[in-house]
Amino acid sequence: MAVAEPYVAKDLVPVGTRFGQGLRQYFQGTPVAGWAAFAALAMMFFVAIFAKAIAPYDPLVPAGPAMSAPGSGYLLGTDTVGRDVLSRVLVGMSTSWWGALAVVASGVVFGGLIGLVAGAVGGVVDSILMRITDVFLALPGPILAVAVVAALGPSYVHTLVGVSLVWWPLYTRIIRAEIRKLRASPHMEAAKISGSGRRRRLTRHLLPGAVPVTIITASLDVSALVLMLSSLSFLGLGAPQPAPELGAMSAQGMTNIFSAWWIPVFPAAAVALIAIVSNFAGDALRDRIRDR
Amino acid sequence: MLLILGRRLLGALPVLTALVLVVFILQKVAPVDPVVALVGEKAPPEVYEAARHQLGLDKPVPVQFFLYLGHAVQGDLGTSSVTRTLVASDIMKFLPVTLELVFTALVLITVIGFFLGLATAQGWRGSGVLRVVMISGASVPVFLASLLAMLVFYRWLDLLPVTGQTSAYDAPSGPTGFLLVDSLVAGRPSLFLDDLKHLILPAFCIAIAPAVAVGRVLRSSLESTLRAEYTRTAKAKGLGGTQILVRHALRNALSPVLALMGLQLAGMIGNSILVEAIFARPGIGLYISQSISKGDFNTIAGITLVVGLLYVVANIVVDVLQAAADPRIAV
Repeated sequence: MAVAEPYVAKDLVPVGTRFGQGLRQYFQGTPVAGWAAFAALAMMFFVAIFAKAIAPYDPLVPAGPAMSAPGSGYLLGTDTVGRDVLSRVLVGMSTSWWGALAVVASGVVFGGLIGLVAGAVGGVVDSILMRITDVFLALPGPILAVAVVAALGPSYVHTLVGVSLVWWPLYTRIIRAEIRKLRASPHMEAAKISGSGRRRRLTRHLLPGAVPVTIITASLDVSALVLMLSSLSFLGLGAPQPAPELGAMSAQGMTNIFSAWWIPVFPAAAVALIAIVSNFAGDALRDRIRDR
Repeated sequence: MLLILGRRLLGALPVLTALVLVVFILQKVAPVDPVVALVGEKAPPEVYEAARHQLGLDKPVPVQFFLYLGHAVQGDLGTSSVTRTLVASDIMKFLPVTLELVFTALVLITVIGFFLGLATAQGWRGSGVLRVVMISGASVPVFLASLLAMLVFYRWLDLLPVTGQTSAYDAPSGPTGFLLVDSLVAGRPSLFLDDLKHLILPAFCIAIAPAVAVGRVLRSSLESTLRAEYTRTAKAKGLGGTQILVRHALRNALSPVLALMGLQLAGMIGNSILVEAIFARPGIGLYISQSISKGDFNTIAGITLVVGLLYVVANIVVDVLQAAADPRIAV
């Protein structure tokens, strides 16, 4: 017999900080695969932060006999002068990871600013800014990055600058599109009627709306950047020797590919690992944010 | 379609001007003094000044830019600061090798990408595994793929060669510069096969990431066209599965795939530089990577201009193809 239960209000749950609550909402209902991806991402950050401490040897000085095979005391073997490959790979992963994040951040800030201005101001400013952006989008980024770094001279900072210079138009396009969409939405009108000024409307009503799409784009972009940066370093456009950079290590190990495969293969595999982790984490993040 | 072509060609002019401007600015900010590169560090001041005048570097910067633009338009990309050869003629020598590689890669991308897209969209057996492989495949750096390919197909299986463009010492160098074509013109099919063997691994390494991207986009776009009303109509009309797929679903799903191929070209150009350097194929990529290690910026600038031009042209071709696949775009 079905009897209607009398409605009893649940106990009020204390509301946490706004930030904490937001995070909890984000992650509620994340599938196992998503959790695995986030765990891998946390591991990646851990390695990136503590690379020097985890590394069993100094990445810059020989640690044992040259070209020892993986296993024997040196988990990933040693390179042509006896440096520990694992230590160099760990430090190299950290460099790649922070480098990619730095370029993404500069793309978001610089490209996003242009997109924000173009989308919010509109009119002539919008068309001029977007023409410039389109011109940059129409040029092949990788080869331009090569040219920029080659002109500035090889160094890791120049690589980051060079790639940042060609990497912003994507963010400009995406953020402008989002801002324009938001500008036409009813809540903007409401804000206007309720008397918020131009600046408040921009910072409180437009900008937060563009955050999710920016996070999604940026997180999926990290893997592309890791690949791009390591490719430039492979071509000799990164930090000069003997800095442990994954691309450069792989390139220098190339000559020994048939006698000591671990020297070029492990650094390259580390690049793949970072890219795969950030790809899956980006995917999981997108699923979470899009579902809201 | 002509309208699209005309509009895109006009739109390319400011892009190409900007390209020349960017390269020009880079040449200005490069720390290497082109005059010193030409006359040497110990040259007396008169010689230095004469060379400076000859290069036009004593003129105001805007004038220098228009001179540079004028030269570039006429195909004069200056001389290499290391080898003293004409950059433009060097590029003409190396370009066909790279184009051959990129075209082969495009064929592979089409074949693999369509296979992946069709297989996953229609839920063929094992397509779940395919999807994981696809996400991972897109994350593999091209140099890892190349290294593994070398180890597996050369070292362990000894199936395919991994260095150079051909194993023949007397390969024909004309009339087109494309060895695949030239070997057939010269009537030497064995050389054609040899060239093809040298092409497979590098082309495959370039093709992996774009093929996966094509597969993913084709899958999502096929999923929506297969659900569309016109597909149901076609089914109701009594058309067979293959016919529905090819004539209705696939054709309408083609446009985003083409757009994506245009976007992928930039990455393919970058990757072909790496692959040529790794497999020692004497193309633009090997040329630019050698110029990088020699600090030969004139050559890098010239290659950037030519590759940028090709990229812009290729994207115009993609736009026109897109209009051909989907006439609604042309409106």
